[in-house]
Amino acid sequence: MPMTRSKLIRAVAAVSLLLLFAGSNVFGQAAVRVGSKIDTEGALLGQLILQTLEANGVKTENRLQLGATKIVRTALVAGEIDIYPEYTGNGAFFFADEKNPVWKNAQAGFERVRGLDAEKNRLVWLQPSPANNTWAIAIRRDVASANKLRTLADFGKWVSTGGKFKLAASAEFVERPDALPAFQAAYGFKLTQAQIVTLAGGDTAVTVRAAAEQTSGVNGAMAYGTDGPVAALGLVILDDTQHVQPIYAPAPVVRSEVLARWPKIRDALAPVFSSLDTATLQTLNARIALEGQDAKQVAAAYLKAKGFVH
Amino acid sequence: MLALLVATGFGAALGLAFVSHAPNRLVSGAGVSLVQALGSAPGVLTAALLLTAVWLAAAVFTRPTARSHVLVALASALLIAMLAAAAGTHAARLAAGSAPLARTALGAGFWALLLLCALALGDALAAMRWPNWAQALAWAAAAAPLGAMLAFGVLDDVSLVKEYTTRREVFGAALVRHLEIVAASLAATLLVGVPLGAALHRHERLSRPVFAVLNVLQTVPSIALFGLLMAPLAAVAAALPLLARLGVSGVGLAPAVVALTMYSLLPIVRSIDAGLRQVPAAALDAATGMGFTPRQRFWRVAVPIALPALWAGLRVCTVQAIGLAVVAALIGAGGLGAIVFQGLLGSALDLVLLGVLPVVGLAVLADAAFSVVARLWVGTQPGALPGALQESQR
Repeated sequence: MPMTRSKLIRAVAAVSLLLLFAGSNVFGQAAVRVGSKIDTEGALLGQLILQTLEANGVKTENRLQLGATKIVRTALVAGEIDIYPEYTGNGAFFFADEKNPVWKNAQAGFERVRGLDAEKNRLVWLQPSPANNTWAIAIRRDVASANKLRTLADFGKWVSTGGKFKLAASAEFVERPDALPAFQAAYGFKLTQAQIVTLAGGDTAVTVRAAAEQTSGVNGAMAYGTDGPVAALGLVILDDTQHVQPIYAPAPVVRSEVLARWPKIRDALAPVFSSLDTATLQTLNARIALEGQDAKQVAAAYLKAKGFVH
Repeated sequence: MLALLVATGFGAALGLAFVSHAPNRLVSGAGVSLVQALGSAPGVLTAALLLTAVWLAAAVFTRPTARSHVLVALASALLIAMLAAAAGTHAARLAAGSAPLARTALGAGFWALLLLCALALGDALAAMRWPNWAQALAWAAAAAPLGAMLAFGVLDDVSLVKEYTTRREVFGAALVRHLEIVAASLAATLLVGVPLGAALHRHERLSRPVFAVLNVLQTVPSIALFGLLMAPLAAVAAALPLLARLGVSGVGLAPAVVALTMYSLLPIVRSIDAGLRQVPAAALDAATGMGFTPRQRFWRVAVPIALPALWAGLRVCTVQAIGLAVVAALIGAGGLGAIVFQGLLGSALDLVLLGVLPVVGLAVLADAAFSVVARLWVGTQPGALPGALQESQR
C-alpha cells in the first residue's frame, strides 16, 4: 500500500530528529578538536598534542594540518578548533606589536602574548618549549667557507660589497617587517629584487633544497631554527649575533572554556613541551622531512621513548 | 599511429632517465638510463624486454590484421609489466648498496614508456572492436601483473611505494575522506540542481539571469571560492549552534561541499534543461490525450526521455568534483589533496604523485562506470518512447 502523505511527513520528521540527536552530542562531552599548521613541524607538534591528550584520557578529534597560520588562528579564535601549537613570537604579528623589544626575550614574550590573548580572545597559552624556531638565513657551506662567513654581520659586509648571493624565501619572509627587512636594517645590507626568489609556501624544505641544488642560481635559503635538513643538505645557518629576530617558542594555545572542561590538558602537555629543545626538534623534523617517516609514528616513538606514553 | 608510438618509445628509452637515484628524500636525483637499469635485471627479463620491443617495432611494418592487433595488445601489456619489474629490481639493487636515506624514484623515461605502451594497448583494443566488457577485462589483465608485483614487494624500494608504505593509514583515511567529499557534493548537487533545472525549464524568463549567475560562479577560481566561503559559513555556524554540532563550520568539510556543489550546478542544470527541451511535444500531447495529469506527464514521460542528458551532466559533475576536491585540502577538508599539498610544501614530489595518481585513477574509473551504466540502463540517446506510452500503442 503506498505511503500516505502524513505517514511520510512523520517518517521524515523522525529521521531528522534522530540525526539531530546523533549530531548533538547530548549524551557525551564533545571531543577536543586538535588543529595544527600544514607544515612539517606543525604536523609533529600537532601529533604530539593529540597523542598526549589521548593517552591522558582526553577525547580528541584530529583536525591536524588545517592550513597556513592565518587559517588555523582564525579557526581557533572562531571556536572551530580547540587547541593548536603556535609560536610565542607570532603574538607580535597577531596584536600588531612588532616594534616592542619584549619579543626578543623568551619569558617576557611568552608572558606578553599570554596576557593579551587571555584578555582579548579568551585563549590560554600553555607551557612553551625551550626551542627557538626563529627565522634564519642559511647559506651554502662552500660559499660560507670560501668567504669566511660565520655570522650575519660577516654576511652583511660581504653581500653589500658585491658578494654573489641569491636567496630563496617565502613571500612572508620577504615582506614581514620583522623578517628580512629587520635583518637588512640591523646588519647593513639590502638585497635587490634580482637577488631574491620568492616562493609561495613557507616550508623551508623547498628553499633549502633550492639552495642545495642551486636552482636558478640560488645559494642561500630562508630556514627555521628547528629545521631538520639544513646540515644534511650542505647548508649552514648564519648566526644572528644581534638577536634581531624575536624568539619563536612553540606552545599549545587552547580555548579557555575547553581548558575549564578538561583541566588535565595543562599538566599533560607541560612536560612534553618542556622536553622539546631546539636540537630535539631538529632531529624529529629531520626524521619526517629527510627520512620520510610519518609524523604520527615519529611522535609516537618519541613519546614512548621519553616515557610520556606507555 | 603504432609507428609514431614505437619511434617515440625508442627515443624515450634512450634519451630520458628511466629511474633517478638521490641521496635523500629532498634533493633531486641523478638519472639512470634504461640500459643501465637493465644491467641489474635478471638476464631473462632483459632478453624478454628486448624481444618484445623488437616485436612491436616489427609490427609497425606488417599489415594490420585482427591477429596482429591481438599480438600488439599482448606485447604492450607485457612490456608494461616488464618495465615495472626492471625499475623494481634496479631500485632494490641500488637500495642494497647505498645509505638508508637514499631514494630511487621513477624517472621521466619510465612514465613516458608506460604512457606509450598504454596508448598502444588502447589503440590495438579499439582497432579490434571488442565489446566494452572485453576491453575492460583486457585493461584489468594488463594491470594485474603490476598489482601482483606491488603485493609481492618487487617494487618496494621504489620511492613512490616507500612513501605509501610509511603512510598507509593516512592514505586510506584520505582516500575515504575524498570519496566522502565527492559523494556529499553530488548528493547536494542532485538535491539542489534537479529541482532548479526543472523549475528553470518551466519558467523560461528566470533561466537567463540564473544561467548568468551560474556562469559567473563557474569562472571563480576554486581556491578563491573556498576562501570566500569561510567567513559566511563561520558566521552561520556561530549564529546557529545546532548547525555547528552537525558539522557546519568555516573550515573543513562544509565549505568544500558547498563550493563543489556550486561548481556542479551549472553542468547539472544545463543538462536537465537540455534534456527536458528534447522531449518531443508530440509525446507530451499523446500523454495528455491519454489522460495523464501534469505530474504524471512530467515523471512518466518527460523524465525518462530526459534521463540520458541528466546522466551525462552527472558524469561531468562527478569527474569535476573528484578533481576539485584536491584543492579542498587547503581549507582543512582533508582528502587526497592533503597528501598532495604536504608533498608540495615539503618538497617531496613522490608524495605529490601519491596523491595525484589515485585522483586520476578515480576520475577514469568514475567516467567508465557512468558510461557503462549509460549504455546498459539509462540510454545514451533520448530514444524510444517510455514504457507507459509504448504499451498504449499496441
